[in-house]
Amino acid sequence: MNTVATQIDGDEPASAPLRGLAQQPSKLFPSLFRSLATDERLTILEVGSALPETVDFFSRYKCRIHFVDLFAEPLMQNLHRVSGPEEMRQEFEKLLKFPDGTKLDICLLWDFLCYLDDAALRAFNNALRPYVSRRTRVHGYGIHHLAIRLENKQYGILEEDTLSVRKRRVKQPKTHPHTQVEMREMLSCFDFERGLLLPDGKLELLLKARNNIENG
Amino acid sequence: MQESPPTATRASAPTTKTAVIGAGIEIAGDVSASADLSINGKISGSIVQSSHDVDIAESGKVKANISARVVKVAGEVEGNLAGSEKVFISKTGRVQGNIVAPRVQLEDGAIFRGSIDMDPAKVIKPAAPAPAKKTTESSRVATSAGSSSAGPDSKASGNGTGPMHAKVTGGKEPGLTLKSG
Repeated sequence: MNTVATQIDGDEPASAPLRGLAQQPSKLFPSLFRSLATDERLTILEVGSALPETVDFFSRYKCRIHFVDLFAEPLMQNLHRVSGPEEMRQEFEKLLKFPDGTKLDICLLWDFLCYLDDAALRAFNNALRPYVSRRTRVHGYGIHHLAIRLENKQYGILEEDTLSVRKRRVKQPKTHPHTQVEMREMLSCFDFERGLLLPDGKLELLLKARNNIENG
Repeated sequence: MQESPPTATRASAPTTKTAVIGAGIEIAGDVSASADLSINGKISGSIVQSSHDVDIAESGKVKANISARVVKVAGEVEGNLAGSEKVFISKTGRVQGNIVAPRVQLEDGAIFRGSIDMDPAKVIKPAAPAPAKKTTESSRVATSAGSSSAGPDSKASGNGTGPMHAKVTGGKEPGLTLKSG
């Protein structure tokens, strides 16, 4: 169901290239919305670039989407040059700077976590912490060993259960596999709610805020 | 340095009131329109507003917040966009800023950095443009070197060797008010 492949509201024809988008079903993605009162305003973090289909998908909700294309940030090619955990945290804090009082309902991380080494994973978690509330839910992918090939793809949303997959324009950062136990230890804001092993070896993940996170 | 009549011009069709800021025109200041506004040149200021539509063409570059009924971007914008009906960024559009509109549409290829605030149930009314009163204050309007291709009705002229300053009074261009920055 590619809604963006049709004319959207009469005056602007949808972009033709969207018709040929590769699609990927997702069993876990719909769960992101089930626990949320979608008639309330949603606050969303998307760590990839702004894609037409994603914007179109969220246009049915009252929402604010923060597009922070972390994949395109020079930091992602230079993680090894950051000297220590404190500097790494500061780097991520600079990138994840939202208005005071912002609490995220949905974080769309896609395969971003696969490109973070241990120090970066902890720093990312800590930089995100001020914006995490008990409502926060996260969708992403993980890999647990290097034998799993991670393609340089970016994701968008066509429907609640259908994602779009495109070739990412920016250079693919180095991958850093983590086991679920390691990720749980380093992502101290989140608990694993569900995980689903995909045919390509990736693990589709649904995370929720830990109980020790204050309600916001 | 030669003074010239306003360089912002209005389309000649009587039924379509579109104020056009032609390619090669640079405006440093705020722009307020009570008609549709098409921007092919450069604007640098704090606000560009219209009670109708604002269309930034591929050659258009705006460094200011934009408020209008419908905002269409095919060029470059550095600033926040508020559309009371819709904001549309086409495949050549580049926007850095935050968008507030009931409906936002991106075309494949559009580049956007910032946040999008959408509420399909809400219609935001843009601030009414300032009345088109005559101002005695001059706006700085400069054409780039060799800017003879500026808007078809543009009367700006220069010697082709550098920027030219022209005196513009808002009251002379119906539907368009310029305020110096």
